[in-house]
Amino acid sequence: MSPRRTDTGGHVDRLKTIRFTFDGVAYTGHGGDTLASALLANGVTLFGRSFKYHRPRGLLSAGVEEPNALVTVLKGEVREPNIPATMVEIHDGLIAVSQNRFPSLTWDIHAVNQLGGKLLSAGFYYKTFMGPVVGPLKGTRFWMFCEHFIRRAAGLGSAGSAKDPARYERMNAFCDVLVVGSGPAGLMAAKTAADQGARVILADLEPRFGGSANWSGETIDDASAADWVRRTVAQLEARDNVRLLPRTTVWGYYDNNTLAALERVSDHKAQPAKGEPRHRYWAIRAGSVVLATGAFERPLVFPGNDRPGVMLAHAAERYANEFGVLPGQRVVVFTNNDSAYRSALALKQAGAAIVAIVDVRPQPSAEMSALAGEAEAELLSGHAVVATEGGKALSGLKVQRFDMVAGALSGDARSVHADCLLMSGGWSPTIHLASQAGAKAEWNEALQAFLPPKRTQKWVGAGAFNGHFMTLEAILDGRNAGLTAVGATVAPMAYPHIESLPCDPRPAPVFEIKAKGKSFVDFQHDVTAEDVRLAHREGFVSVEHLKRYTTLGMATDQGKSSNVPGLAIMAEALGKPIPEVGTTRFRPPFAPVSIGSLAAERFGDLKPERLTPMHDWHVDNGATMYSAGLWYRPMIYGLSGETVEQAYVREAKATRENAGIVDVSTLGKIAVQGPDAAAFLDRVYTNMFSTLAVGKARYGLMLREDGFAFDDGTTWRLGDQDFLMTTTTANAGKVMQHLEYFLDVIWPELKAHVTSVTDEWAGAAIGGPKARQILAACVTGTDVDNATLPFMGIVHGEISGVPVMICRLSFSGEMAFEVYSGAGHGTHVWEALVEAGRPFGLVTYGLEALGTMRIEKGHVTGAEIDGRTTARDLHLDWMLSKKKPFIGSAMMDREGLVASERLELVGLIALDNRPLNGGAHIVEEVDEANPHGSIGHITACCYSPALGKHIALALVKGGKARHGTRAHVSDPLRNRFGPVEIVSNHFYDPEGTRMHG
Amino acid sequence: MLITCPYCGPRDVIEFTYQGDGNRERPDPASQNFEAWNAYVYDRLNPAGDHNEIWQHSGGCRVHLRVVRNTLTHEISNVAFVRGDHSSAARRKAEDKP
Amino acid sequence: MAERQSPLEPEFHVGSHGNFEHGVEILLTETRPGSIVQLAAWPGEEKTLMAAIRAVTGLALPDGAGGGSSDGVKSVFGFAPGKFTVTDEAEGLASAFAKVVAPAMGTVTDLSHGRTAIRIAGPKAEWVLSKFFAIDFALPAFPVGAGRSTTHHDVFAQIQRTGTDQFDIYVFRSFARSFWKALCHASEEVGYEVQ
Ligand SMILES: [Zn+2]
Repeated sequence: MSPRRTDTGGHVDRLKTIRFTFDGVAYTGHGGDTLASALLANGVTLFGRSFKYHRPRGLLSAGVEEPNALVTVLKGEVREPNIPATMVEIHDGLIAVSQNRFPSLTWDIHAVNQLGGKLLSAGFYYKTFMGPVVGPLKGTRFWMFCEHFIRRAAGLGSAGSAKDPARYERMNAFCDVLVVGSGPAGLMAAKTAADQGARVILADLEPRFGGSANWSGETIDDASAADWVRRTVAQLEARDNVRLLPRTTVWGYYDNNTLAALERVSDHKAQPAKGEPRHRYWAIRAGSVVLATGAFERPLVFPGNDRPGVMLAHAAERYANEFGVLPGQRVVVFTNNDSAYRSALALKQAGAAIVAIVDVRPQPSAEMSALAGEAEAELLSGHAVVATEGGKALSGLKVQRFDMVAGALSGDARSVHADCLLMSGGWSPTIHLASQAGAKAEWNEALQAFLPPKRTQKWVGAGAFNGHFMTLEAILDGRNAGLTAVGATVAPMAYPHIESLPCDPRPAPVFEIKAKGKSFVDFQHDVTAEDVRLAHREGFVSVEHLKRYTTLGMATDQGKSSNVPGLAIMAEALGKPIPEVGTTRFRPPFAPVSIGSLAAERFGDLKPERLTPMHDWHVDNGATMYSAGLWYRPMIYGLSGETVEQAYVREAKATRENAGIVDVSTLGKIAVQGPDAAAFLDRVYTNMFSTLAVGKARYGLMLREDGFAFDDGTTWRLGDQDFLMTTTTANAGKVMQHLEYFLDVIWPELKAHVTSVTDEWAGAAIGGPKARQILAACVTGTDVDNATLPFMGIVHGEISGVPVMICRLSFSGEMAFEVYSGAGHGTHVWEALVEAGRPFGLVTYGLEALGTMRIEKGHVTGAEIDGRTTARDLHLDWMLSKKKPFIGSAMMDREGLVASERLELVGLIALDNRPLNGGAHIVEEVDEANPHGSIGHITACCYSPALGKHIALALVKGGKARHGTRAHVSDPLRNRFGPVEIVSNHFYDPEGTRMHG
Repeated sequence: MLITCPYCGPRDVIEFTYQGDGNRERPDPASQNFEAWNAYVYDRLNPAGDHNEIWQHSGGCRVHLRVVRNTLTHEISNVAFVRGDHSSAARRKAEDKP
Repeated sequence: MAERQSPLEPEFHVGSHGNFEHGVEILLTETRPGSIVQLAAWPGEEKTLMAAIRAVTGLALPDGAGGGSSDGVKSVFGFAPGKFTVTDEAEGLASAFAKVVAPAMGTVTDLSHGRTAIRIAGPKAEWVLSKFFAIDFALPAFPVGAGRSTTHHDVFAQIQRTGTDQFDIYVFRSFARSFWKALCHASEEVGYEVQ
């Protein structure tokens, strides 16, 4: 057995030995140990170095509030920093290292910082880095140079850069009652609510339910409190309306009773089970919440209160009673209240010697004197600890007579030999979640504590959270809270029989002992009582400013241990009572949250992908896939050894010479149906659709309400009241919402329904001089000749036994057809078309060739319909009907939208025969040294196989008027300058003879 | 923030799309009153307090809702279908659980 | 006619997966109904449309938002005011409805190819679905037969509860494989079988 482990007692499994390392040294612990309890059992007192001064630090607490003993846990390549050792459950193979020490924990060169303590006092960063730099270093990079070292010296653990392979998940949960905290109050509330039939979630951040009942040594109804916990938890486990969440920290309280919690699912295991996440982020919507979050014990502020071996009294009691570990052999207790007497007795019973109880109060009650006697401790009432001694462990302390009313010390300091000092400065209810939910905390003079604020959401408090520190009160509170939470009437209950030690919950109003030496308020950020007073002297009088200036209560501490002592010192400096100084508002998270849990399943390959029906065919047939939004589309079907450019040039050429086929399934498709469908489309599009014959398609343009161009596409009239609208791939969702908005909000009288049918249809566009022959070879049930299927005509037929719908329209400028089939038949039809096309030299082509052919034709896409261009800018004004109003018609003729100097769509030809770049500026005169005078920019560019030239589409001031003139590209980022000719955007076959055939 | 869709029940705000100020009045489509169009397209109330808003339940039933939301507290005091003729389709009370 | 291709095919691995050594708690399958049809009534015509649904499918729709029912072959549920999704193992449901839903009543939209139906069943079905969707899957809040429209990130879903421990999820076909992979991934923890 290790030196400080007791032979009996506690809830650790002494038969189970667990091996782990800390800073490279191998240790053993037992089942049920935390890293803190196991190291303490091994005699380790030094856990870390402090933030600024690199002072040696040990354990202050035994729970989530631990500010000192932060460690980094290593799992493979992944390092997780800043975890309190008190929250790490040990497992075989656990590797943990200390933080903020260089080069090692026991020998730290930055510890010299404490010698020049003034240098790093409050506001150090602000004064050093934000003040003016004067003197010889003015204008130098000296501060930046210093900052590098200071940042290295002052800080918490460092995060790794390795990819985290762990799995994180999100869980959405709903319940009638969420109970936060599982001490006697929380357990009772959960049981009561569950007995009423409510759906209950009980969450506790510890691995074991029961809170203080696990180590209080009290009895409830003649059983030990720990047994009462076990029995109650077993009852809850047996119910199917209760979900128990151990190791789950409720860290955020948001609007509408939505709470966020982090469950540490498998951190305590050497290996997670198959598929088991590391952390689970719970988003809980609760009908009501029971806050039974207990209270934190406060440290006392006195010189040397941060030395390893100085610990909160109840933390020591917990180490002894729950883990069977003695934090010391010769113990002194220093307190301003009754509760520490129980701790003294507990340690005595566990085998330690209680050298003295130092109580600031002049006359503790007779009951306390009796307890001191029982602990065989010398009771030094009206005394205070004024100094501690020792290096990396406590060796002794000094005690002096203390007048708590005057705050004055008197008489000679007396030395006491001790290896452990327990302190208790009273209790602060853990009101963080209630504070997050809104409203300000209220100061209670008797308890010297902030009590929960007024309710702004549906929660009920219970137990120590309410400032009710006795177990009997907690159980009664818990029952009432459980009933209130489910809306039941609160009836009196039979009081349980509790055996506990006497304890008056009211502490003496003493927070600080002023004596020579550094007295710490915020252990984690090394904020001393003097720092708080310095901030006051420098004019920081608001608590929110105090917090930011001194960094008091920041980082993982979030005021858990430092809040009230800091405020008390500030209040004294201001000469005001604490309630007038107020407290800072607590914000989420209550405790640190892993970023992985917030990302949950949304990472890596689990980002949703949209695949067309022919996706697998493309991949199997050599396509290089390209992600366009969420869609995946073929970019090229490259042959071996081909570059991207060679591939698309080959594909485009072959299409114009013979035929090509491209997957157009991603186009947005919207069914517009109903008696008023045609009238609706007339209002939505700039051109007429009510005049469109059944079995015909028409190209349409939509504007936004403000008169700018919005989207374009063809719409097919499949029946009198049945239209199939197509949109650009990128705008499909936006157009759908646009249509729904107008039908729901503006024109509810129109009988038209819109439905997304994008995924219903597979689309293949087949174009080229031989496209019609290919169709004729494979389509049955209809002719595809010019008479049956004229330009913009639609026919229904079959290909290889499945129904298809064919519309003759062209994006490539060739004689072309779009063949639509049910998505489940998409690959079948595609393969039949490819097969039928083989004798005709049909090629499959991707987005690159598609883009090339559209640039050659001068068609617009999202690059040109960019939200800043009008129909006129794009030469689409021929589509603006004058016979009817439509969306955008009233605003499109505004002064600025018809001005002559607007950017207009043009074509560009590179006169130096070199590639152009998207985004390059167009200028009249090149000035490479000082680029200026942009008259527009390139929106799309390519090498045109049809023209044998590098061409581009561009938006250029004055546009059309410049046709036939010369300009230059000016692209300083890519160092591309050169002459271009401005031409019409219709580069290729402007008369459209090829597509009309 | 939760919005209680009259059809789907209370849902997280990420299921909804904000569709603008609910106080806008669209002029008659044939109107040439440029001031009225300008006000409709560009003018917004932006009150500090209760605000009439239009939200689409885009991640659910896709219906548009009139929502009265306090811009200071996010508290939602009223939600209704924009279309009066949907009101018969509202959720039954029995299912109206959080 | 050629068989309809499933969008899940390369990711559809029949058998047990994940942490199944302790038993399989999830069954996943694609139900592949022959027909998936959307019906939408004009305001005031909901009852006539519901009668038409009953006439064609034999299924009586309960009143109220999201109400639905299923006989194991055909299913129907409301997913928006006046709008219903109807499915049938057999093909041809859209043309059957086209005959009875007059233009004055509402519209019929065939989505048989456009939506993919994934069934998740088993004691952990609620647990796994709760990883994706922020709706309450508990039986009292989501009764058998009822339908819900909701979203997991970009994936829109209509969900019908077709049994105490069984849900049919209708997603857009183009998202189906991605969603299926995510569903399998999320089911690993409890062990699942693909049928
Ligand atoms: Zn809804």
